[in-house]
Amino acid sequence: MEESMTTSQGGESDMECSDNEFYDYYNSNDDIDIEQIDPRNIDPEYFEYNCLLEEQVDRLLNETVETLSNNLQIPPSLAKVLLHSNQWNINEVTKKFNDNSTQTLIAARIEPDAPPSSLLLTRLSSYVYCSVCATLQHFENFHNLSCAHMFCNECWTMHFEVQINQGISTGIACMARDCIVLAPEDFVLKHLQRPNMREKYQQFSFQDYVKSHPFLRFCPGPNCSIVVHSKDIKAKRATCNQCKTIFCFKCGCDYHAPTDCHVIKKWLTKCADDSETANYISAHTKDCPKCHICIEKNGGCNHMQCYNCKHDFCWMCLGDWKSHGSEYYECSRYRENPNIAHESVHAQAREALKKYLHYYERWENHSKSLKLEEQTLEKLRSRINQNVMSGLGTWIDWQYLFTAANLLAKCRYTLQYTYPYAYYMEGGSRKELFEYQQAQLEAEIENLSWKIERAETTNRGDLENQMDIAEKRRTTLLKDFLDE
Amino acid sequence: MAATRRLQKELGDIRNSGLKSFRDIQVDETNILTWQGLIVPDNPPYNKGAFKIEINFPAEYPFKPPKINFKTKIYHPNIDEKGQVCLPIISAENWKPATKTEQVIQALVALVNEPEPEHPLRGDLAEEYLKDKKKFAKNAEDYTKKHSEKRPAD
Repeated sequence: MEESMTTSQGGESDMECSDNEFYDYYNSNDDIDIEQIDPRNIDPEYFEYNCLLEEQVDRLLNETVETLSNNLQIPPSLAKVLLHSNQWNINEVTKKFNDNSTQTLIAARIEPDAPPSSLLLTRLSSYVYCSVCATLQHFENFHNLSCAHMFCNECWTMHFEVQINQGISTGIACMARDCIVLAPEDFVLKHLQRPNMREKYQQFSFQDYVKSHPFLRFCPGPNCSIVVHSKDIKAKRATCNQCKTIFCFKCGCDYHAPTDCHVIKKWLTKCADDSETANYISAHTKDCPKCHICIEKNGGCNHMQCYNCKHDFCWMCLGDWKSHGSEYYECSRYRENPNIAHESVHAQAREALKKYLHYYERWENHSKSLKLEEQTLEKLRSRINQNVMSGLGTWIDWQYLFTAANLLAKCRYTLQYTYPYAYYMEGGSRKELFEYQQAQLEAEIENLSWKIERAETTNRGDLENQMDIAEKRRTTLLKDFLDE
Repeated sequence: MAATRRLQKELGDIRNSGLKSFRDIQVDETNILTWQGLIVPDNPPYNKGAFKIEINFPAEYPFKPPKINFKTKIYHPNIDEKGQVCLPIISAENWKPATKTEQVIQALVALVNEPEPEHPLRGDLAEEYLKDKKKFAKNAEDYTKKHSEKRPAD
């Protein structure tokens, strides 16, 4: 693989969504040559990045090292230490070095902060005492870093091997007490003969370099060695081109728009802490509010129809589904008790738990629905197969159903991550607006989900119309986050 | 083996140095990796007694640090009931192969003489040390008199 592959999202680009409200969907499909449009305008979540293999990352790092080494006239291994301790910002290192080279080298732990004592440099004879192994050896068997602390080669090797076995690589320092001078890569490798040790060292230092580089992020997928590279350090969605893991480029966790990196961490920790309560919530069954027969949720749609009495109701609030059809769909909004400040501590704790459970249930419900809808997709596939076999259209004719199912998953995913955001949002008109928009998307995707599950009886135009509305609502919810 | 040679040298040096605060060093001839000795602090309230410690050197010594354990009970914010002590100089992150055992012992004696309540192993004692020094001194002295070893004559 010579060239890195530029990957970006928005595969399903037939669903455009322009920022301009007047530029509506009635004519958006017409005369526009998609290739000429800036992808940023088509997909608000567009993010430019490359998926790199280890060799490509190595090359990228080495190019930077070489440039700095040439600019400053220093050995490459020192240039590497300098870059590693300065977040690989070559311009900043060059500036710092030109301003004050001594201070820059001391700060990067390449040089000692005090000049080496002359005592250490004088040799009485051709024999030197190694204070680590307590032996007298010929001076040719000794090496030292810039701090002039001399130790025999066997001790250096042992020191490096013990450190590497503890997972330390770029951070290995001199063996002298209180000396913090770091051993650069070439010095370490010179003392390592065993191939597995050299390999381990290079592997660990590679990890250190990638972690210290702001433009690089390891793919969090299990056993995946891809490194994602982007100059845009934002909480945007990256998809690994090898293992297909989707994650947030900034923090490396699951993609979480519109919630911020630190908020989603807080939320996930909270959910983990409250797992006992979560267990109680995760019951998969509820009783029909009308005939009280036990109903198991076996699809992603929240619009339930009782198998027994045909009553239509909402899985989340158990209310009549009819009241959800209008824009007064409010079961996603949490209504805080306005008098809570005057209530007892007990009541306040109960209220806090109630509030958390409200958001948690909706967060968890979307996560489950996403899984259940994967099964719906499977069923859809076999139904389409049947249709095609019995001459009802071709595969291509039915493709729009898959596109719809993909969009549904995308919307549900975004919706799932709006709940932690809303939970931590301060009350006020901004929150009210957000929860209003959230409720609208909830309503739209339930319609969408309902229509997909009953694909044969739904008109294609109807479904595509529904898709367009849902994606617009989704973009509205993400707008503030993506514009930041 | 590197550990044996180095420890023999260190043991000889410490015995010859005539260190007042660390005495009665006992090492089993068959196992130089375990040392026992007596810490003799200068500062009150610990100067009313002496404290037996054990130093265990790993086979990878001096590339990995030794471990220190108190065998005598002591009322001290940095030493817990099991005799474990938190000494930065021998923590895995700070350890330097060129650090000598004598330097480790000096750091230990300094810690016993001057407790460091900022990073305690026993939070209750650290709090008492900071809030009510008199009470702490009294308790520590009583405890020392009751549990510690006899101080060497000279």
